[in-house]
Amino acid sequence: MWEKTKNTVTVSVMAAFFLVFFVWCLFKPADEASDSERRKLAAMPAWKLADVMSGKYMKDFEDYAMDQFPLRDSFRTVKSYTAFYLLGQRDVGGIYLRDGYASKLEYPLHTDSLDYAAARLERIYDKYLSGKNVNLYLSVIPDKNYFLAGANGYPAMDYGELVSYLRERTDYMQYIDIFDCLELSDYYRTDTHWRQEKIVDVAQKLGEGMGVTLSGQYTRRLLDKPFYGVYYGQSALPLPAEQLYYLDSEVINACRVYDFETNSETVVYDMEKARGKDPYEIFLAGPKSLMTIKNPGADPDKRLIIFRDSFGSSIAPLLVEGYGEITLVDIRYLSSDMLGSFLDFDNSDVLFLYSTLVLNNSVTMK
Amino acid sequence: MCILPRGTGVTVHYADYQETRGNNMVFSSIPFLYYFLPCVLILYFMAPRRLKNSVLLLTSLVFYAWGEPRFVLVMLLTILQGYIFGILIERYRDRRAKLCLAVSAAVSLGLLGYCKYADFFIENFNAVTGLSVPLLKVTLPIGISFYTFQILSYIVDVYRGTVPAQRNFINLAAYIAMFPQLIAGPIVRYSDIAAQLEDRTHSVSKCALGIRRFVLGLGKKVLFANTLGELCSTFRESDDRSVLFFWLYAVACALQIYFDFSGYSDMAIGLGKVFGFDFLENFNYPFVSKSVTEFWRRWHMSLGSWFRDYVYIPLGGNRVKKFRWLCNLMIVWFLTGFWHGAAWNFIVWGLFFGVLLIIEKLWFLKVLDKERTGILRHIYVAMVVLFSFVLFDAADISQAFYHISSMFGAGNLPLVTAESLYQLKSYAVILAAGILGATPLVSYGIHKLRERGVFEKLFNAAEPVFLVLLMLVITGYIVDGSFNPFLYFRF
Repeated sequence: MWEKTKNTVTVSVMAAFFLVFFVWCLFKPADEASDSERRKLAAMPAWKLADVMSGKYMKDFEDYAMDQFPLRDSFRTVKSYTAFYLLGQRDVGGIYLRDGYASKLEYPLHTDSLDYAAARLERIYDKYLSGKNVNLYLSVIPDKNYFLAGANGYPAMDYGELVSYLRERTDYMQYIDIFDCLELSDYYRTDTHWRQEKIVDVAQKLGEGMGVTLSGQYTRRLLDKPFYGVYYGQSALPLPAEQLYYLDSEVINACRVYDFETNSETVVYDMEKARGKDPYEIFLAGPKSLMTIKNPGADPDKRLIIFRDSFGSSIAPLLVEGYGEITLVDIRYLSSDMLGSFLDFDNSDVLFLYSTLVLNNSVTMK
Repeated sequence: MCILPRGTGVTVHYADYQETRGNNMVFSSIPFLYYFLPCVLILYFMAPRRLKNSVLLLTSLVFYAWGEPRFVLVMLLTILQGYIFGILIERYRDRRAKLCLAVSAAVSLGLLGYCKYADFFIENFNAVTGLSVPLLKVTLPIGISFYTFQILSYIVDVYRGTVPAQRNFINLAAYIAMFPQLIAGPIVRYSDIAAQLEDRTHSVSKCALGIRRFVLGLGKKVLFANTLGELCSTFRESDDRSVLFFWLYAVACALQIYFDFSGYSDMAIGLGKVFGFDFLENFNYPFVSKSVTEFWRRWHMSLGSWFRDYVYIPLGGNRVKKFRWLCNLMIVWFLTGFWHGAAWNFIVWGLFFGVLLIIEKLWFLKVLDKERTGILRHIYVAMVVLFSFVLFDAADISQAFYHISSMFGAGNLPLVTAESLYQLKSYAVILAAGILGATPLVSYGIHKLRERGVFEKLFNAAEPVFLVLLMLVITGYIVDGSFNPFLYFRF
């Protein structure tokens, strides 16, 4: 009797389960993008015979079916809970949680990537900087794993080796060490980046290294929106929201920012971007290949050119006090071969400021 | 894991196989679970009894076409020749029947040989002669090794008079192309389901049994095999190897292959039950074996029995002189290895088992039987199986030797590194659960508890809830785009 009831319930429940999701999949309107994963979602592929015969249609349909599955985020959370807490995995897809911080394993050290990065920098030096009246500086930003991974038993690359390896290959630059200015709490808990309000001392150390004095006097302002970093979506766990602060001052307010991509003026703190998918883009409007910050209160001939990644967006406003003009170059989005058309390097300071994350995965540097 | 025959000139490692996602409708995919399967079930159960096999055939062709539209016709023509020759064999029952059998077998095996082995032979011919005969680079139709063996078994059984020829093409095609077992087995014999093709019962209890089996198989595949596959993939990509890491890899690899293949068989058997069929079991806790002979009675049973009935016994089996008997065994194990892939490591893998089985049959089984506790016997089988799967998984013979020798510290490898220790901690639960799940202990424990009345009711009440929860977790893994290859598709 019990067996019969159990079988009936099993069949009924499972039939209902599949039927509900079947109908839901069919009729659920497609979402354009995922906020948590910060990416566009696959759309229903168009039916083309050539695509069907080649198998492309099937692959695209599977991408669509996975991306548009009902309650996708909740299902991803179920998976994360299972992997972390039921199966006891220390990381899921490289994402791990420790001491309230989410991070992604960055391991091992890719010396081939460092070689490539060093070669890109040397090419820039040879093409634009050699023989010019320029002061060259290099600084490496440790990623969060430097403080979090090794100390907690997670695989971590040898950061000392990374820095010395790079320095050996860039001996034409003066190295400014900022590792000792940073600690774990200087980084967002759910994001890769450092917190601008915590890196004033880093900016001062860089300024000192380049012969510039920075007052470090700023007004701390709170963004009126909760901040969920990139690891929030990648971990798929309900991590608490963070607060994003940005540092303001009269000098920063007076600055004029020019975006070469759009040929238009913009602002240091982009409030429109701050309310978008990635509030970290508040800093100089996020990923930009080439932009200039002009400080009308400083000597216009005092110029700094920063070759940088996204970490540079939040520290550049803190350096502006010491320069009449700061140019930010991101060679991940602009080929370094084209820089000569836009920039005059003579009589300037040049800072190569890169995070270990980019250096260890430098294939994107052009 | 090389999952394509290396002889094709295209070596696709297990870790890379996820790149081919979308080219097959794997059971552990959203399109299969939440689009295809509900449609099939609705159509199947709405169809009148006389049309059920037609529904199964049509939906199976859609399933196959989803992965390889070009090869649907190839499969249908192969089935058609089996259908025609089956009828002709039954009609003639004389030398012409033998000719029909030979022609049908030649067509089936010729196609399999051309698609799967041609480039292997060309590569080896080139290596021996120094010539540069261009490779054919033939794409291997999915499941061809499985459906070829099913057609062969049908034709041979008709020839032997074990079963009557199937007069209804749809029934025969539905048997061979039936999607639950089409692309990764088990190798279902026509004689086992001939009667069910004509008349089978559908019941709630059978359906419930099938659903449970399917969901558990899916869990084995998604939660165990795929997760352990990630560990194997991490090992392959790591430069920070140690003796511990090689052992971890060997254990993870063996368990991954077991859960992948047995999970798929569970899903096939479960779906078969939903559609009213009773497929034979394909795995019976092989890792608890106390000899290699026993291991192969419990591992991929449908393949083992196929080679026994259609190769070993026709060659004379063990009812011949000793030397001939040993030759028969080696032929069978050569073919077993070769069936798994057109590469030397698969051949060596098969012959390795052949040699071990011969040694056991000649004298070692007697030695093993004297070991009363069974512990040494288990250790012996575990070691043999681990080494065999390292060999199976290797890209080539030299890599296999490198991996196996590294397990014993060759090359001055460190015993432990930080990474290997980390991976051990990270996968400790899944490895322990996998090892436990590969034994009958869990099943035995549940059975014992069920014998007590209270637990019987508890398990009955919990089962539907458990299955739904398991499906939710599995769906979470699939939706997240987790590592999701299938090993046996190309065999």
